[in-house]
Amino acid sequence: MIIALVIAVAAPFIASSNPDGLESAFFGIFGAKEIHGTDLDEDAAGAAEEQVQEITGNTFSFEAPFPDYSIEGLSKMGEALAIVIGTILVLAIAFGLGKALSRPE
Amino acid sequence: MYICINKVLRMHIPDSFIPLLQAAVYWLVALVFIALSLRWARAEMREEKVPLVAVLTAGIFAIQAINVPIPWGTSGHMMGAALAAIVLGSPFAAVFVLTLVLIVQGVLFGDGGITVMGANIINMGVIGGFVGFSSYKGLNRVLKNPYPAAFAAAWLSLFVAALACAVEMALAGTFPLGLGLFSMGLYHAVIGVIEGALTAIALFLISSARPRHPLARIRG
Repeated sequence: MIIALVIAVAAPFIASSNPDGLESAFFGIFGAKEIHGTDLDEDAAGAAEEQVQEITGNTFSFEAPFPDYSIEGLSKMGEALAIVIGTILVLAIAFGLGKALSRPE
Repeated sequence: MYICINKVLRMHIPDSFIPLLQAAVYWLVALVFIALSLRWARAEMREEKVPLVAVLTAGIFAIQAINVPIPWGTSGHMMGAALAAIVLGSPFAAVFVLTLVLIVQGVLFGDGGITVMGANIINMGVIGGFVGFSSYKGLNRVLKNPYPAAFAAAWLSLFVAALACAVEMALAGTFPLGLGLFSMGLYHAVIGVIEGALTAIALFLISSARPRHPLARIRG
C-alpha cells in the first residue's frame, strides 16, 4: 500500500526519462563554445580534452559498458532503455542495501 | 578549454580532470562520509523506510538523466541531494543516496569518472546534502512553510556544490578559479531554480502520498 503509493510517485520520474524529451540543445552543446554563445567548435573540444590530461596527469580511463547511456545500435531508444535499466538497477541495489542495513520494526 | 565547462557543468567530473593525488584525497574524505552515512542507515532505517529510500534513489537517478536546456546554449540537471536529505531527515541520507547513484552512473554509464568519484560524492552528496539539509531546517523555522524553504535550500545546495566543483577544478589546474567560479556560478544559479522547483514539487508529492511519514514532523 505505502510501497505502491511511493512507487506511484516515482513512476513519473521513470516515465519522463525518455531522452526524446530532451531538447536538441543538449546534443548541440557537446563541444566547445563561448560561455554566452551557442556556437560549437569540435576541434577545440577534442584538443581541450588532451590539454586537461596533460595538466593533471590523470590518464585513468574507464570503459563503462554503456558510455553516456548509449546502447549499441539503438541510439535514442537505446538511451531511454539504458536509463530505465539503470533506474531499476538502482532501485534493486538501494532496496537490497537498505534491507541489509535496516532493523526490523 | 570549453569542453571543461560542458562536462563540468554536469558536475559529474570526468577522470582526467583532477590529478590522481588530489583525487585520492577527495576519495578519502568521501569514504569517511560514506562510512558515516552507512552508520546513519544502520541506526535510522527501519524496514518500512527501505522502499522509500530505494524509490527515492531510483527517482533521483532517473531525474539526473534528464537534461533541461537553459540559456547560453547549455543544459543542466537536477542533483537531488537536498530532496534526499529533506525527505529522509538527514544530510547523511543524501550522502547515501547520491553515492549509490554516482556509483551506478560512473561504473555502468561512464557518467563521472572513477578516480574522481570521491570529489563528485563530496560535491553532490556531502556538500549538496549538508547545505540542503541545514538551510532547509533554518528556512523552514523562519518561513514556517516547507515548500519555499525546500526551494531555496535546494537552490543553495546546488549552487554551493557547483562553486565547490569550480574550486576543485582550480586546485587541479584544470580551470582558472575566477572563470570557473563565474561560469559555474552563473549556470548553476539558473539550474538551481530547476532544482528548487523540482525539489518542492517532489516534496509535495511525497508528503501527500505518505501522510504518516515523519515529514509531517519536519513540516512542523
